[in-house]
Amino acid sequence: PAALPPAPLGFTDVNLNSRNTYEVSRRRSAPEHLPHGGTAPAEPAPPPQEPAERARHRVGIAGAGSSFAEFFTRNFFTKRTKELKPAVQSAPGWKLFGKVPPRENLPKDSKIIQQEYEARTGRMYKPPLPSARRKNIEFEPLSTTALILEDRPANLPAKSVEEALRHRQEYDEMVAEAKKREIKEAHKRKKIMRERFKQEENIASAMVIWVNEILPNWEGMRATRRVRELWWQGLPPSVRGKVWSLAVGNELNITPELYEIFLSRAKERWKSFSETSSENDIEDAGASVADREASLELIKLDISRTFPSLYIFQKGGPYHDLLHSVLGAYTCYRPDVGYVQGMSFIAAVLILNLEEADAFIAFANLLNKPCQLAFFRVDHSMMLKYFAAFEVFFEENLPKLFLHFKSYSLTPDIYLIDWIFTLYSKSLPLDLACRVWDVFCRDGEEFLFRTGLGILRLYEDILLQMDFIHIAQFLTKLPEDITSEKLFSCIAAIQMQNSNKKWAQVFASLMKDNKEGDKNHSPAPKS
Amino acid sequence: MQKHNQKEHLYKLLVIGDLGVGKTSIIKRYVHQNFSPHYRATIGVDFALKVLNWDAETVVRLQLWDIAGQERFGNMTRVYYREAMGAFIVFDVTRPATFEAVTKWKEDLDSKLVLPNGKPVPTVLLANKCDQGIDVLMNNGIKMDQFCKENGFVGWFETSAKENININEASRCLVKHIIASESEPVQSIEPDIIKPHLNSSKIGSCSACFKS
Repeated sequence: PAALPPAPLGFTDVNLNSRNTYEVSRRRSAPEHLPHGGTAPAEPAPPPQEPAERARHRVGIAGAGSSFAEFFTRNFFTKRTKELKPAVQSAPGWKLFGKVPPRENLPKDSKIIQQEYEARTGRMYKPPLPSARRKNIEFEPLSTTALILEDRPANLPAKSVEEALRHRQEYDEMVAEAKKREIKEAHKRKKIMRERFKQEENIASAMVIWVNEILPNWEGMRATRRVRELWWQGLPPSVRGKVWSLAVGNELNITPELYEIFLSRAKERWKSFSETSSENDIEDAGASVADREASLELIKLDISRTFPSLYIFQKGGPYHDLLHSVLGAYTCYRPDVGYVQGMSFIAAVLILNLEEADAFIAFANLLNKPCQLAFFRVDHSMMLKYFAAFEVFFEENLPKLFLHFKSYSLTPDIYLIDWIFTLYSKSLPLDLACRVWDVFCRDGEEFLFRTGLGILRLYEDILLQMDFIHIAQFLTKLPEDITSEKLFSCIAAIQMQNSNKKWAQVFASLMKDNKEGDKNHSPAPKS
Repeated sequence: MQKHNQKEHLYKLLVIGDLGVGKTSIIKRYVHQNFSPHYRATIGVDFALKVLNWDAETVVRLQLWDIAGQERFGNMTRVYYREAMGAFIVFDVTRPATFEAVTKWKEDLDSKLVLPNGKPVPTVLLANKCDQGIDVLMNNGIKMDQFCKENGFVGWFETSAKENININEASRCLVKHIIASESEPVQSIEPDIIKPHLNSSKIGSCSACFKS
């Protein structure tokens, strides 16, 4: 069939995940072609006319699309409930009381009952909006009305006047309550919509500024106050990849051609690997540790476990081969580092925002930063320096929580490792992780640790109530409803100053200590 | 629910083994009674808590430390091993290389961690993904027993997180050995043989647990 347009562009992007919207669009050729069309639903074919420049993927700030979808689904389901209702109601009534034969007019629709009631009381209940009325099904005007306003069956004592009156009153109250609820909900919806529109407008206007003013004068403007402030607000998804690339830089001078060379080398190794491993798996296990670690087998295992809920990096998914290529090429480019767990998440986020070769260039340069290099080489003594610096600012900013953690000897290796290795892409919702990356690109490694402190600050009150295992569980699996407004206001409140020393100075002085002191510097174990 | 004179034990258990053998899946199955083929890779360490009503007087709280499997992280494991009381070492029956790595994990564990009485921590070997066919181990049961004895495992189980096979049993076996090793006098003469009483008959599949 002819290529379908990639569903609506912009904010109603193809919804792959409730939390994130993606525009699944054109990519440069994946090395291993997608096996077949089996995954078609998740993979709308690209529009041939779309210029490459615009085909960039957008990790959207949770778009309006998802909420519309929610809205429609909700209505859809309530509608169905209503359709089912009459069937339920037609069951003979008063069965509980036994023996009574169903009255011939019993399966009266509640609407009729209501109309009768209204006629009797001389009032009209006007449903405000058809859709809003449907929403009130939970409030059950149907069955309750029916029972309350009906006369009792003949074999039971009739309602007294007071009772009938009371029932009428109760019914009125229920209706009033429902109306109130409806109005409140409508207000809430309106407010959310207003906020969303505002957000969209902000993104749109920020995009214009980034594209027309900042990007053309990148070097001159990147450090200005105005740009830094705009940057803090979050990069518009359409320029995100570009800004990341520029900010990370390319001091390794990698070209797309170089990438192709390492990629083809990876493919060769891969081929020979799969040829030998099938025959003599057991002898193979004796191969050197470094080889095994770098082996593509490991990458293969991890790729399927990278953002599994998105279903795009898994086997058969649209980005599976891409992720494989970028990681494979990297292990050939940097055999001294090889593949280390956590890398697959970083590469995946880059692939979502950049073209293949650009993603590789950013990936290699990003991992070449001192902090990332220390972690991915698992240089334990360096990692401990970073943890120690983190703890300096932890104590400074959150002294109470710091002592609480200390009392359980809960050290940063428990929670920071995951956060730093994956640059929060595994622990935070993806759109929020991208915002952290935005400012990480602006501020460097210090911002990673500041974000960590922001998270601790955000949940300080809860964490203070918890014991070791619950804190550990909480921090290694953060709540999914964490919002960027809350988190960023907590991050903003974290001061990266310790008695006039900034992060870099604190870290440098810890490094100096290292020269004399030594490995036994690990965070003190206690009870 | 808690009785007045109930004893409570808190044990830290390690779950280690090569990358992708199913450590996280086993824990999820054990603690949350569910399984998903889509767990994310563990970076560093993840945690879970399981509370067992061991017997009328005893509640056992298990702190499970799910440790990332990549060899590279070996430098960091010392921090995670600290004060653990028992361990599961997991391998994937469909990937022989992960079994080769078992002895390496055991050595790593024993070199970095001993009980207060100087003995290695009780460790159970789990042959995971046994649902994926290949009855390699069924035919090698005796060899496996031998392997466990030689390498100081207190028992082994074929497990499947997917099909919920033997996970509770393996855990009971480990906890039983931990309790036994706790109550054991320090000057015990036969360090390697611990006698499990009465319960192996209760669970058929616990036959893998050493009876000697």
